[in-house]
Amino acid sequence: MMVAVEKDKGDSLMEGDNVYIPHVMKIEKVIEETQNIKTFHFNFKDETQKAQFGFKSGQFAEYSVFGVGEATFCISSSPTRMDHLEFSVMRVGKVTQAIHELQEGDEIGFRGPYGNWFPLDSIQGKNLVFVGGGIGLAPLRSLIWNVLDNRDIYKDIVILYGARSPADLSFKYDLEAWDKDDRVNMYTTVDRGDESWTGRVGLIPPVLEEIGPSPENTVAITCGPPIMIKFTLQSLEKLGFTHDQIITTLEMRMKCGIGKCGRCNIGNIYVCKDGPVFTYAQIRSFLSAEF
Amino acid sequence: MGYKRIKKDQLNAFLRELSKDYAVVLPSRSGGQVVFGPWDGENTDFLDWYKNTVIPPKALFFPPVEEMFRFRKGEEGYEIEELMPDKGQQIIFGIRPCDARALKIIDMLFADTYRDPYYLRRRENSLLIGLGCNEPCDTCFCASLDISPGQSEDVDILCTDTGEDLLIEAISDKGGNLLSRMSGLSDAGSEEESKARELRKSAKERITREINLSGLQERMRSNFENRAYWEKVSKKCMACGICTYVCPTCHCFDINDENRKKEGKRVRNWDSCKFPLFTRMPMENPRHEKWRRMRQRYHHKFEYYPMNFGAIACTGCGRCIRECPVNVDVTEIIGGI
Repeated sequence: MMVAVEKDKGDSLMEGDNVYIPHVMKIEKVIEETQNIKTFHFNFKDETQKAQFGFKSGQFAEYSVFGVGEATFCISSSPTRMDHLEFSVMRVGKVTQAIHELQEGDEIGFRGPYGNWFPLDSIQGKNLVFVGGGIGLAPLRSLIWNVLDNRDIYKDIVILYGARSPADLSFKYDLEAWDKDDRVNMYTTVDRGDESWTGRVGLIPPVLEEIGPSPENTVAITCGPPIMIKFTLQSLEKLGFTHDQIITTLEMRMKCGIGKCGRCNIGNIYVCKDGPVFTYAQIRSFLSAEF
Repeated sequence: MGYKRIKKDQLNAFLRELSKDYAVVLPSRSGGQVVFGPWDGENTDFLDWYKNTVIPPKALFFPPVEEMFRFRKGEEGYEIEELMPDKGQQIIFGIRPCDARALKIIDMLFADTYRDPYYLRRRENSLLIGLGCNEPCDTCFCASLDISPGQSEDVDILCTDTGEDLLIEAISDKGGNLLSRMSGLSDAGSEEESKARELRKSAKERITREINLSGLQERMRSNFENRAYWEKVSKKCMACGICTYVCPTCHCFDINDENRKKEGKRVRNWDSCKFPLFTRMPMENPRHEKWRRMRQRYHHKFEYYPMNFGAIACTGCGRCIRECPVNVDVTEIIGGI
């Protein structure tokens, strides 16, 4: 089975627009997910811009704190819920620190959407297995909500989410909602529990093997830290998933987001323009070369 | 339109006429370096000493520091003021055939999918008057890359220095239109034309340095994982990045904010794949080691760019060889693969 991953056609940009000029957006809500991850709900200041804006699950954008700089994050909300947009940020450096200091009512720069997206069309009518680790749930939750808002056109849905510890679980409100949802098989796991944790303990790959989803008419979509991805791919292979049935996203340092600044390439593939969404089959064809 | 000619001592008047409608930029000395700079309205002595500039003409279109927009926090929140290059027309006089080709090569990137308004605005408002090389440097290897030092299809007008005269040839329609409006030009005779042909031929013959491109894509792919090779050839590299700054096709950049209190600018700066910070991420860096960065640069130019745009991103201008403090030589490294 082939999952076609569409390429960005850049048609969101009108001729004559300056692609580097960000929209000024307003932060509407700040959610503290963990001690170093925050989610921001944000919105256009201008209703016309808001009405014209569209994106697809999996796409990313360049976000900026004016005077500090730009950084790249996916849009973590679903295109089916356009009341506002969301992005989630782990505090790791100068720009992310500044983003973490933002409060409701503050403004950010936003340009995008960029990159390709999850292949919504070709996963219709299939069983879906979502495997997310840590903040890697951010791009997945965009797709998950997108799928759940059109629940009838997909078959069985498994969501497996894991984090290092209970305190590191992000998007707890989503996890709860999916756990309560009869149409979803939700599994949450942590590497190490604590006194109050009564849930599952175990690394994602063995838990995935234990759940044992059938590869028959199924697509697996996985995002997370590199080490988790590496072993999750192995587990999926063990379960009988072919490389075409596995979709993931790649992460590289980016600046422009539009295939010009020269740093996010892996071979001749530019993650910003040709990705960030790839099938495992695609990745195998170029990843072994450089890394 | 046939060839025109002008006495070299009349170039001053020619440029003065151009200056009425265009900002004229030509080879000049600045801070001990040869660069393209605004014409002083007088001197044309570069014809006597000019070989090529240290800083390539990409800098005229993609400046080392580009102020992209200004932001200011006002009563209603942040306001953004776009800082576009002005719409004035400019003429680049004296650009070499290799450098004109380099612009054609990076045009493809800046116009691809998402158009880069800063670069393209300047390109659209510029006219290139090339000057063929009669005496290439010993570091030049343009001939290996299908560039003839004395000829160019990538300029609007091409000049050839025949000693007493400049032989002037319209290459593009834009160039033809301009020439038809210019006074002080006379028609060239067949004698001048054959002299120019002779000069171009001998210039090409003087290029002795070569880069071996035969079967290069194949060679590069099969050598890609030859770590020992890349470690060996990158050993003396100091990762100073000068090869990328003086390269007429290197186009990597960074985007940063400069601010003071509630206002500031977003600027784009030249960056370099030779620096480890270029690809550093919080948790990892795919090209931390110097040999990986060396490999990335050559593969980008000679394998990926051809795959993505159908052209090698090297013109054989030889700047990287001339300016490298430790004599890294691209022809040796590519030739050794």
